[in-house]
Amino acid sequence: MSSNTTNERTTGESTSETEGLSDDTIIETDISVGPDSSRTTGRPNTIVSADSLDVYYGDDRALSDVTIEIPEHRVTAMIGPSGCGKSTFLRSINRMNDRIPSAHVDGALSFRGKNVYDEDVDPVALRRKIGQVFQSPNPFPKSIYDNVAYGLRVQGKADDVDLDDAVERALRGAALWDEVKDQLDESGLDLSGGQQQRLCIARAIATDPEVILMDEPTSALDPVAASKIEDLIDELVEKYTVIIVTHNMQQAARISDKTAVFLTGGELVEFDDTARIFENPDDDRVEDYITGKFG
Amino acid sequence: MSRNAYQEQLYELREDVLEMSDVVCQRFRRALEAYETGDEALAESVIEGDHEINQLYLDLEGDCVELLALQQPVAGDLRFVASSFKIITDLERVGDLAVNLAAYATQSGRERYSEVDVVHIGTETVLLLEAAMEAYATDDAEATHEIAATDDEIDAHCERASRTVVRELLAADPSDEQLLEDVSRMLLTIRDLERVGDHAVNVAARTLYMVDNDETLLY
Repeated sequence: MSSNTTNERTTGESTSETEGLSDDTIIETDISVGPDSSRTTGRPNTIVSADSLDVYYGDDRALSDVTIEIPEHRVTAMIGPSGCGKSTFLRSINRMNDRIPSAHVDGALSFRGKNVYDEDVDPVALRRKIGQVFQSPNPFPKSIYDNVAYGLRVQGKADDVDLDDAVERALRGAALWDEVKDQLDESGLDLSGGQQQRLCIARAIATDPEVILMDEPTSALDPVAASKIEDLIDELVEKYTVIIVTHNMQQAARISDKTAVFLTGGELVEFDDTARIFENPDDDRVEDYITGKFG
Repeated sequence: MSRNAYQEQLYELREDVLEMSDVVCQRFRRALEAYETGDEALAESVIEGDHEINQLYLDLEGDCVELLALQQPVAGDLRFVASSFKIITDLERVGDLAVNLAAYATQSGRERYSEVDVVHIGTETVLLLEAAMEAYATDDAEATHEIAATDDEIDAHCERASRTVVRELLAADPSDEQLLEDVSRMLLTIRDLERVGDHAVNVAARTLYMVDNDETLLY
């Protein structure tokens, strides 16, 4: 792999994801890394939890009294009808809702036991631990290499790590390396939709987060590209925790270990093992929703 | 397909499974009548009619596969389709046992075991199957446990009948060349009746799973 020394400043990106990361003043909080746990052994640790969480946009309550414990190294799916609050919950985890002036939060939302809305938590540092992948692939108008190296550069870590190695590692982690290793200097925008989304995943994991939030990451992709992302998610949970919002219930059933069902009013109606949700949910409203009888 | 059409398809599946069970139970009762009366024409009609049951089974299997492939049912809908898929297999097997019974009806030798009331046991088993299908039709979880308990009584009845046949064997003249054939045929008949009861319990077990996600009657 050739060393890429493109000396572009990574400012002025228009995607919302880049705004928090562009701040070089990172205040480390006491968010610490807990003991690791495997997907296949024992009871997993809780990595993200909410306790009586309410989220408002102005006077409108988007989330209502949500209490949940999300296990690490698992795929947790958030499902529910449009407007039920599932994306609001996702954005609350890494404080992307901070960008909406009218948004405010009551209750606690914790990452490794630390309330992320405490005053001493820096949202930029938080988003380094909790990355995000969006519905539509949104690579920067830069080379494939620079897309992946971006996060490390803005963190000022580009001098501390072997950037080539870090880029390769992230691209391999996103199952994209073999397809792009000979075209790293080409624009990320020239890739197919599915490749672009995997590039975004590579960009997200390059900074070594602990949690990856995904908001309908395959809804803009064809079934084959979507299938590759699903396979990738299955591999990602070896190292990361994945929390995914999806409107595709079959996808939730296929790829997730746990499923949270939100219904209108921002209420978390049921949270359980995915197999149980799709075979025998406790709540009649969940049964009606997943069998298509809801509304 | 709209969700309303999907619900209609689920409704039709249940109706069609019940229709298949009506055909199977009627066919088994005819086999019992043929056995009781020795009516060869009636027995032959049961044997020849088996292809109709097989076709019903294949049609319903196709309906279940189509529902799974196109609608991906979940939760209660999934348990209903999965249970129906299993139940039609049990019904098809009872159809085969009706054919066996009809075949025995045309063969000699059963007068040797007059104290074994094949028709009575057979009627009990088909009543049990009808009760299991009624539970399936009405989502009656409570009835499924009664069906399992009743089958235990039928098993005991069959066990006593088998012992009667074996006792006859021990007391019989060993030079009787027809003996072994008659004994084995009667034992097979009793076993077939007992199997009808087992299929009724299978239907009840799948119904309990379908209604309450309760697997306690599955084996």
